[in-house]
Amino acid sequence: MKPTAQQRIWMYEKMLTSRKLDEQVFEAYWEGKKPVFNMGKGPLPGEMHQSFGQEPTAVGMCAHLGPDDAVGAGHRPHHVAIARGVNLKRMAAELFGRKTGLSGGRGGHMHLYDKSVNFFCSGIIAEGMGPGAGMALARKMQGKPGIAVSYNGEGAANQGAFHEVMNMASLWKLPFIAVIEDNNYAVSVTKKESTAVPSWQRASGAYNCHGELVVGNDPDKIFSAAARCVERARKGEGPSILEIETERLHGHFIGDAAGYRSKEEVAAQKDPIPLYRKRLLDENVLTEAEMTALEARVKQEVDEAMKFARESEYPAPAEALEKVYA
Amino acid sequence: MTDIVAPADLWDTDDEGVLFLWVYPDGTVVEKGKLIAEITVEKAQLELTAPASGRLRILVQPESIIKKGQVLGKIEAV
Amino acid sequence: MAAPVTDTGRSLTMARAGREAVIAEMRKNPNIFVIGEDVVKLGGVFGTTVGMAEEFGAQRVIDTPISETGFIGIATGAAMAGMRPIIEIAFVDFIGVCFNQIFNFAAKTHYMSGGQFKMPLTMMIGYGGGYNDAAQHSQCLIATLAHVPGIRIATPADSYDAKGLMHTCLRDDNLTIWMVHKRIWGLGWLGTALKTAIATVPEEEYAIPFGQARIWKEGKDVTLVGYGITVHAALQAAEKLAAEGISAEVLDLRTIVPLDRDAIFKSVSKTGRLVVADEDYMNCGVTAEVLAVVAERGPRVLKAPAVRVAYPDVPVPFSRPMEDYCLPDADKLVAAARKTLGK
Repeated sequence: MKPTAQQRIWMYEKMLTSRKLDEQVFEAYWEGKKPVFNMGKGPLPGEMHQSFGQEPTAVGMCAHLGPDDAVGAGHRPHHVAIARGVNLKRMAAELFGRKTGLSGGRGGHMHLYDKSVNFFCSGIIAEGMGPGAGMALARKMQGKPGIAVSYNGEGAANQGAFHEVMNMASLWKLPFIAVIEDNNYAVSVTKKESTAVPSWQRASGAYNCHGELVVGNDPDKIFSAAARCVERARKGEGPSILEIETERLHGHFIGDAAGYRSKEEVAAQKDPIPLYRKRLLDENVLTEAEMTALEARVKQEVDEAMKFARESEYPAPAEALEKVYA
Repeated sequence: MTDIVAPADLWDTDDEGVLFLWVYPDGTVVEKGKLIAEITVEKAQLELTAPASGRLRILVQPESIIKKGQVLGKIEAV
Repeated sequence: MAAPVTDTGRSLTMARAGREAVIAEMRKNPNIFVIGEDVVKLGGVFGTTVGMAEEFGAQRVIDTPISETGFIGIATGAAMAGMRPIIEIAFVDFIGVCFNQIFNFAAKTHYMSGGQFKMPLTMMIGYGGGYNDAAQHSQCLIATLAHVPGIRIATPADSYDAKGLMHTCLRDDNLTIWMVHKRIWGLGWLGTALKTAIATVPEEEYAIPFGQARIWKEGKDVTLVGYGITVHAALQAAEKLAAEGISAEVLDLRTIVPLDRDAIFKSVSKTGRLVVADEDYMNCGVTAEVLAVVAERGPRVLKAPAVRVAYPDVPVPFSRPMEDYCLPDADKLVAAARKTLGK
């Protein structure tokens, strides 16, 4: 199944939105942190794991998802949140710890939640696998439509939770997809250094479920593979592992100089967004004028979101004590 | 008057069991089929239900060792 | 307050009373399902789910592989999506393999999401030793669980409270943990039923609120605070003390989180003497929290230093004389009470 022109434009727009937000967040992050890098300083404190280069993995899957579905992401969630349709202003405000944020500032960058689009994050590696499969189980139990998708890194696929949940998801034929974003690096450790199997897609045999491997970080190819996995899930044929080779263009988090990677290796990386832009123009999916208009739209949306975030109030300090319990 | 007997098919082996507790005190009027006692056999807690409706008369005290087929109590007609 | 006397005369074990509450709630609410190891054919290692699979079927009583992290994670997701899972973990010692899902995800999701996602989830967990199950199968770990914000913990000491607290757990939209000491479940193979743990239990439903301690026996000379099995040691101690003319008040905490701090302080203000009994490890434990209540609110009410009778800070030993040495029992509580009276 190939994406329509409409879907391809949507994918590009969402990838670009994620990228533009990440670029502005990158700038904002360094405010207050120079010349001395103190993570706790500035308007955007804490850790920050950005999605530069991984945008295709989010759009290729989320293009198939609707309001009945659920999506969970990990500590590198921005591209997934945006592709899922999380409110951009409230997401930005959450990154800045403002009262208007998705969680009123209680979650922050690694813990983005937007119930209106059934989106959640988890900050512990592979921790979101179980909850994602649980959302799939709930839909099955309730006789409701919808599938659940969980995003994991290739490093996360080594965590016990990944295996336990895939076993149960397959055993119980849950409408669940585990996406593995293989950017080759779990912080500084490469996949080859950490993982016995060459690819998780092949290991799907261990769980007796469907598996796909997509190389090339190509939104159109990801779209097609995701389509197959989504169809199987919707038909009650059980879960899939969708392994996507992608690129982490920056370090693990902002501030990670990534000295463990060679300059040649970094220079050889390909940025998927300009490549896709060129393809859409070459194939006349968009004219130059339409592309310019799209990009202006995205810039405006991101500018407004960042402005909203910066201008929003902080929560009252004592609000820290609220919302522990329902 | 109906005997309350530890049923022969309540547990598989020939092992002895323990009368663990009576749910009602002696003299209580109970309904047929309701739970009246628990019997422990190895790692299982087994249920003993009233064989008839009537007044419960306890003959075997809790913590006593019992065998299958043993009369544990009686149900008196009321 | 003591359990109301409802003379149905029905003596139930704690396991059965808890099950009764679960079954009643499951009949009313189709979103409740039970998940855990050995809950179908075995009915739970400690009898928590006997009869449920037969009544509710495979959709609602689910056996899992040995994958605690996995199925607890799955249950949390189901809870976020509108179901109401009950998770069975037979031994509290096993929370080690799945603690992340409990304390980092389940306990924190409501907060981190700013209230967007609720976590209506109940865990049924057995704890405690005294039957030679050694270091990795005898722990209490109540303080470990109580320490993390976002969890509510009920520790009933008899079957009346077991049922009432289970109803409350199942009606709470948060992560609630219902914990029963293994030697008071009412399982013959773990020893004779402690008579005081077997109460008469009404057939109808009733809910005991969290944060409400229970005075089992009023007294004026010394307060004996306990929860779970140590309530029974305290009752035995109170009897022995009465023979010496010492009037002990027995206060059952009932729920560790939230803790009924008012009841603790009220009792100690009355008696002026405090002994706290706990089978959990001493260091940084529940006993310390009870003492903190008095120290913070008014230490001058104490006529003598408080005494903690808790498990020593050692792994649970296997050999009987060593294990018995460590367990808080009635004699240790009597000695502690006498110490507060300068005897």
